[in-house]
Amino acid sequence: MTSPRERILSSIRDGLLKACLPAEPNGAARRRPDSPAPPSVREMADRFSAALTALSGHVHHAAGTEGVARVIAGIAGAHQTASFISWDDAHIGCPGLLAALAAHGLERVTYDVSGEPERRAADVHALAGVGLGLTGAHAALADNGGLVLVGGPGRGRLASVLPPVHVAVVDQRRLRPSLEALLREEPRLLDAGSNVVIVAGPSRTADIEMTLTHGVHGPKHVHVIFTA
Amino acid sequence: MTPRPTRVQLFVTCLVDRFFPAAGHAAVEVLERYGVEVHVPSDQTCCGQPAFNGGFAADAAAMARTTIDVLSHSVDPVVVPSGSCADMIVNHYPGLLAGDAAYGPKAKALAARTYEFSQFLVDVLGVDPAAAPSGPTLAYHASCHGLRGLGLREQPRRLLHAVAGERSADLPDAETCCGFGGLFAVKMGPISSAMLDSKLDAIERSGADVVVATDVSCLMHIGGGLHRRGSRVRARHIAEVLADPGHD
Amino acid sequence: MTEAALAFHRRIDAALADAGLRRALALTAGRLAGGRAAAFDALTDADACRDDARRARAGAIARLDSLLDQFAREASARGCTVHWAETAADARRIITGIARERNIRLAVKSKSMATEEVELNEALEQAGVRVVETDLGEFVVQLAADRPSHIIAPIVHLSRQDVATLFQEKLGATAADVADIPSMTALARRLLRAEFLQAGMGISGVNLAVADTGSLCIVTNEGNGRLTSTLPRVHVALLGLERIVPGAADLAAVLTVLARSATGQASSVYTNVMTGPRRHHGGPGAGPAGEPDGPEELHIVILDNGRSRVLGTPLAEILYCVRCGACLNACPVYRLIGGHAYGGVYPGPVGSVVMPGLHGLEDWSELAHASSLCGACRDVCPVKIDLPHLLLEVRREAASRQLAPLWIRAAMPAYSAVATRPRLYRWAGRAAARLARLLQQDGWIRRLPGPLGAWTASRDFPAPAARSFVEEHQARKAAAR
Repeated sequence: MTSPRERILSSIRDGLLKACLPAEPNGAARRRPDSPAPPSVREMADRFSAALTALSGHVHHAAGTEGVARVIAGIAGAHQTASFISWDDAHIGCPGLLAALAAHGLERVTYDVSGEPERRAADVHALAGVGLGLTGAHAALADNGGLVLVGGPGRGRLASVLPPVHVAVVDQRRLRPSLEALLREEPRLLDAGSNVVIVAGPSRTADIEMTLTHGVHGPKHVHVIFTA
Repeated sequence: MTPRPTRVQLFVTCLVDRFFPAAGHAAVEVLERYGVEVHVPSDQTCCGQPAFNGGFAADAAAMARTTIDVLSHSVDPVVVPSGSCADMIVNHYPGLLAGDAAYGPKAKALAARTYEFSQFLVDVLGVDPAAAPSGPTLAYHASCHGLRGLGLREQPRRLLHAVAGERSADLPDAETCCGFGGLFAVKMGPISSAMLDSKLDAIERSGADVVVATDVSCLMHIGGGLHRRGSRVRARHIAEVLADPGHD
Repeated sequence: MTEAALAFHRRIDAALADAGLRRALALTAGRLAGGRAAAFDALTDADACRDDARRARAGAIARLDSLLDQFAREASARGCTVHWAETAADARRIITGIARERNIRLAVKSKSMATEEVELNEALEQAGVRVVETDLGEFVVQLAADRPSHIIAPIVHLSRQDVATLFQEKLGATAADVADIPSMTALARRLLRAEFLQAGMGISGVNLAVADTGSLCIVTNEGNGRLTSTLPRVHVALLGLERIVPGAADLAAVLTVLARSATGQASSVYTNVMTGPRRHHGGPGAGPAGEPDGPEELHIVILDNGRSRVLGTPLAEILYCVRCGACLNACPVYRLIGGHAYGGVYPGPVGSVVMPGLHGLEDWSELAHASSLCGACRDVCPVKIDLPHLLLEVRREAASRQLAPLWIRAAMPAYSAVATRPRLYRWAGRAAARLARLLQQDGWIRRLPGPLGAWTASRDFPAPAARSFVEEHQARKAAAR
C-alpha cells in the first residue's frame, strides 16, 4: 500500500521523465545591476515617502520618545480613539514609548488570544473596538513603501491588521532599497517567525467597477513615523 | 557585414497569389526599384499555416517540406509579403520539422534567410523611400504575427511615414488583433466579427482614407468588413502603397 | 461537435449579446491592462525581471518532486500538518474531515481559485459548515450564487447597481448602505468583521510556497487573507502542487512581477508569509513567552488533481503560471466574452490550456480554438509562458483524437494533398477561382455556402482574381523578353 504522498511524488517523477519543458538558459539568476552606489538613507526615505504617500499612507518624522508619542497622540486624537493594541516596547525600538503614551492618556489593551476554542472568540471580541494598532518594523522598503513586520513574542500580528488605524515607528536606518535587497542580506528572514508580512499602505479594494476604496478589511489609515 | 543582396526569391503566399495579385506585383515593382532582381518560383503553393494553426501538424509538415523544396533551389534571401507566413517559416518550420533528419537542417537554413517584405526593405536594404507630394491619409494596422513573432514594430511605420509624412492617421489600438486568425474567423465567427467591429470603428474614427497592413490576410478581413459597411476607407497592402503612394 | 463544444458556442453567443457585460469588461480589462503596462514601463529592467521570474518558476518545476518533498518536510518540522490530495474529492474529504473533527460551524475564506476548482464550499456546506467568502468580490459572488468571472477580479461582470440591488435583497441593506461604493464596502467590512471574530476555521489558497523554509505566501489587498489566517484557531491552506519556489530569492523574483501583472501595483498591500502555526515559545534565547496571536493549527493540503499528469504532456509549461490574470486582460477574446463563457474555473488563454490539461480534451479542447493566436497573452505573461504555442498543442492533440469538426477534418488533409503537388495546386486554384467568381458582384462575394457562411454573415469575401499572381507574373516576364 502506498500513501497519497508517495503516489503523487511518483506521478510527478513520471511526468518529469516525459516532460517537454522548454530549454532554459543555464546559470544563476541574472542579477540586475544595483545602482552604482547603494542609495543613501536620505534617498531611501524620500523614495519610501513618495511611494507610501501615493498609496494614501502618511509619513511623519519625529525625534525622541516624547516627539514620537506626541505624533501618535495627534493621530489618535484625529481618529477619536484613546485605546490601542501594540507590540511590546522592546520591539518598537523607541524606549519608554508605551509609558509616554500612557501619559498622553492613551490606554494600551494587552491581549493573548487563547488557544482554547471556547475562549478564543471572547478574546478577539474584546479587541473589536480598539481604534489603533502600534508596531515597529523590521525593515522599510524604499521601492514600494512597504513595512516588513516579523511576528514573534511581543510582536503580534493583530496590531497591524485589526484596528482601523495602523501606526508604525521605524528607525530610518532600517530602510532597504527593496525586498530583493533585504532578502539578499537576510536569506533566512522568512523563517524568523511564524509570520512575516510586508504591508504596503492601507487596505484597499477595487472589486466594484474598478473603483479604489480603502479600509475594506485591514486598516484604512497607515502612518509611518521615522525616527532618526 | 554581408553584402547587400542583389537577388531575392519572392514567396508570395497563397492569398496574394489567388486573391490579391496586385500586392504581389507591387512587391516586385518596389524590390526592383531598389535594384533587387526578383525571382518568383513558379511551383510555390501554401506555407501550411492553416493546417498548422488547426492542429494538423502532419499536414502542415508536408506543406512545409514542399515550400522548403520550392525555396531551396537557390540560397537567395526569401522575401514574403506577409508577416504571418514569414513568421510561419522563420519561427515554426524549424520546430515542426525538428525530428526530420533531411528537412530539419533545411528548415533552419531557410528560416535564417527569410524576411517579411518591410523588414527586408528596412533592415536588409536600408531603404528610405521618398515622400509623396500628395496622396491619401494612411492608418497602419499592425498584424499580430509580424508584430509579435518577427518584431515588426518600427519598420512598416518608418516606410509609411517616409512616403506619407503628415498624412498619417493615428489608429487607436493599432496593435490589437482584427479577429482574422485564419480558420478562427469561421470557426468562431461571432467573436471574430465582434473583434472586427472594434477594429473597423477605430479605423473609421481615425480619419484615414486607407488602412495599410503588412498582411493581406488581415486586409482581406478588414477590407471585407469595410465593404460590407459601405465605408469609404480602403484596405491596401504596404507594397501597394510604396509602389504608388499617390493612389487612393 | 461535442455537446460541451456546442454549449461553449451558446455561452459565447449569450455573452456577445449582453451589452452590459461588454461595457463592464471593456472598462475593467482595459484598466487592468493599462495598469500593468504602466507598472512595467516604470521598471528600469522589466524584461530581465520577467526572465528572473521565469527562471525561478522553470527551475522549480524542473525539480518539482524534490522541492515538494522538501517543502512538506520543512513545513512539518515547523508544526504544520501536511496532507496530500490526489483528486478534488480527496481535497474535499480532507478539509471537511478537519472541520468535522473539530466541530467547526463557521469557516471564513480568503479568495482561492484552487478551492473553486475542487468545489470546496459546497462540500463544507453539506458537512454542516457555513462558509463565508471574505474577499469583497467573492462575497458578492457568493451572495449572488454566481461564479467568479476573472482570476483576480471576480465581479468584473457586475455593475455597482447590480451589487447595490443584491445587498438590498440579500442583506437588507438600506438606501444609505448602498449609496456609493465606499458605503457598500463599509457595509461588507462590518458584516464580515463579525464573521471573522466568530469563525473557527480559516481557509485560503496559496500564491507561492517556499520549499526551504516550508513557508506559505498569500498576497491580498484587502487584508482578508491576514484576518482569515490570524483570527480563527485553525487555518487550512489549499496548495496547487506546482505553486512552489525553492527559496526566498525566488519568491522575491516572482513577487516583483506578480502584482504588477495582476493589478499594476508595485506590490500587493499585504504580502503575508506564514511559516508554521503560532509559536508558543520564542526561538532560542527569546525566553519562554510565545506569540500572542495566530492560528493554533496550520494545515496544508497539497493538491494534485491532474497537475502531475499535465507535467508529462506538451502542456507542462503551463505549470509555471502564477495566476496573475494578465493574459485575460490582454486577450481580445476574453475582453469580449468574459470569464463565464469559458465554462470552467480558469478562463481566458490560461484557462484554455489549464482546463483541457486538468480535466481532459473531450470537454475542454474547444476553448483553445477561441483564440486568433494573436500572441498578446504571451507578451504580458510575467513568466513568459508561450501561451499561443500551448493553445496549438491543445489543438494538435484534439485534432489527433478526431475532435475537430468533420468538415475541417476532411478539408485539411485534402488541402495538404493539393498544396504539396504544385501542378495540381495551380489547376485546382484556377478551377476554384472560376467557380467562386460565379458568386461575385463587383469583386466581392456577399454570401458563401456551408461553414464558410460564418464569414459572410458579417463580412464580404473578396472574389479570387481571374488570373493568379504567379500566372500573371510569368506572362509579364514572357512579354518583356
